[in-house]
Amino acid sequence: MAKKQEIDARHYDVIVAPHITEKSTLASEHNAVVFKVANDATKPQIKDAVEALFGVKVTGVNTIVVKGKTKRWKGKPYKRTDLKKAVVTLAEGDSIDVTSGL
Amino acid sequence: MQIKETTNKGLARAYEVTIPAGDIAARVEAEVKKIAPQVRMPGFRPGKVPANLVKKMHGEQLHAQAVNDVIRESVDKVMQDKQLRPAMQPQIDLAEGYEEGKDAVLTIDLEILPAVEAPDLDGLKLERLTVPVADEAVDEALANIAGQQKSYKDAPKSKKAADGDQLIIDFTGSIDGVEFDGGKAEDAPLVIGSGQFIPGFEEQLTGSKTGDEKTITVTFPEDYPAENLAGKDAQFAIVVKQVKVESETKVDDDFAKSLGLEGIDQLKGLLRGQLEQETNGLTRTQMKRQLLDQLAAGHDFDVPQKMVDAEFDQIWAQLQQEAAQDENPEQAMKDIEAEKDDYRKIAERRVRLGLLLSEIGQKNGVEVSQQEMSMLVQQAAQQYRQEDRERFIQYVQSEPMAAAQLRAPLYEDKVVDFLFSKAEITDREVTREELEAAIEADESEQAAPAKKAPAKKKAPAKKAEDAKPAAKKAPAKKADAAGDKPAAKKAPAKKAPAEKAAAEKKAPAKKASAEKAPAKKPAAKKAPAKK
Repeated sequence: MAKKQEIDARHYDVIVAPHITEKSTLASEHNAVVFKVANDATKPQIKDAVEALFGVKVTGVNTIVVKGKTKRWKGKPYKRTDLKKAVVTLAEGDSIDVTSGL
Repeated sequence: MQIKETTNKGLARAYEVTIPAGDIAARVEAEVKKIAPQVRMPGFRPGKVPANLVKKMHGEQLHAQAVNDVIRESVDKVMQDKQLRPAMQPQIDLAEGYEEGKDAVLTIDLEILPAVEAPDLDGLKLERLTVPVADEAVDEALANIAGQQKSYKDAPKSKKAADGDQLIIDFTGSIDGVEFDGGKAEDAPLVIGSGQFIPGFEEQLTGSKTGDEKTITVTFPEDYPAENLAGKDAQFAIVVKQVKVESETKVDDDFAKSLGLEGIDQLKGLLRGQLEQETNGLTRTQMKRQLLDQLAAGHDFDVPQKMVDAEFDQIWAQLQQEAAQDENPEQAMKDIEAEKDDYRKIAERRVRLGLLLSEIGQKNGVEVSQQEMSMLVQQAAQQYRQEDRERFIQYVQSEPMAAAQLRAPLYEDKVVDFLFSKAEITDREVTREELEAAIEADESEQAAPAKKAPAKKKAPAKKAEDAKPAAKKAPAKKADAAGDKPAAKKAPAKKAPAEKAAAEKKAPAKKASAEKAPAKKPAAKKAPAKK
């Protein structure tokens, strides 16, 4: 965070928000952090973004797309937006405080 | 926790308390653990939120709360350790620059209650001045009542109306031949000489007889409330239907029956009871004054300055209010300004006696029972309108302060009763005048040591101790039936000047103000002393 001025603005578009749930708390025990990311973000992009924004070393990125539910409103079906999650595994010793924001 | 005493002078105490950061942190931790099972957060099942997240979310509040608790507890601890009895709420300051993770430094300023040793109660000697109720007094009261129940009898036709007679008339009023609103009435009773009607009206009817028809001209006064009539000449066409003469009301069984009683004896009994009550009130006032004087004379301890200040502020506010309502506010202000010192002394005396009485009460287990309390509340509620009563009662129940205020005068009375029972009492029969004079004399005596403005001193001195009896006495004086309760409030103010007149004192307005205060005073006064 200290090197903010050098950080490319595009990285901010990749990482949307930290994903804070029971499951993500469990993941943190394995030195992994879960983010919500842009739907079109790729694993290399996510890796770059996390490394640039938080100043940590990323050893692996797994992504999942959570499909939006199909809902009905006044009988008319519509679809909620999809969501892409990224489970980012950090190198030994690195950590991110997900609650403090950027 | 470290406690350091910084001041110990007279009744004032100051402490500096250091609370280590660890204590506070541990407290926050415990608090987090306690609330964790109830925290709800999106993404977690209820109660499954990890502690560090809880802390992150509610940390600030929890910390503030923890600090507050610690402060309160440490203050309590200081009180306990040092065996302090604070006179008033201690003043607690958290040193500047405190933030989470640092040691908190507190400064506590307070005044303690003086150690009042329960006075020796055996040596009290009081004189009870009783006034026997004379038959003449009863008769007089009876005549008074009779006088209020005037009745009128038809007079013979030839009787000419004179002062004090009642006329039944029809009248039609007009100005320049035009009738005006409200200028017409039928069968209106008019007592000649009563001044009910506009000037000139009644005079012109003097001498009229039953059946007379008359036209009179009267001029409305300039300050007549109805503008269109003020200052105008008006003609009234009047028919005198009946002239009635006042008849003496005979005091007999019939008269008593007309008042809803069984007979004249019962009426007399009632009146006697009333008179007795009122003289008893006076007697009690006098005894209480003696008692308090003895107590005050035998005890001279330091009183907490803050309590005196609070008491003084109360008196002062009251006086200022009175002064503002005075005819001449500036003069009144000046007057009370000049006596500021005296009022301060009064405040001190009051606080001292208050402390003393409550101490005596405590030592001797005088208590106000639940039953008495609820009776008191009911009584107080009577002053309110029907729909507000319920609310008032609830208010008293929910507000311990309010309840304490109500309880205080009763408690004081009970302590005084207790002291009476302990004291050696000698009876002496006196007349009413002597009794009143004795009360006056007591007041003057108190005034003397105060040196300045004896006249002033005495009125307030009276208020100082006799808040209660003063209120009681007033209605008693009123001599007629009427319920004591509502009268109690207003009467003291009204009564004061008259009562004082005998004693030849100046500034009646001032006294009135001083007198009025007591009605409210005692409650406020005792509240702090008690706690």
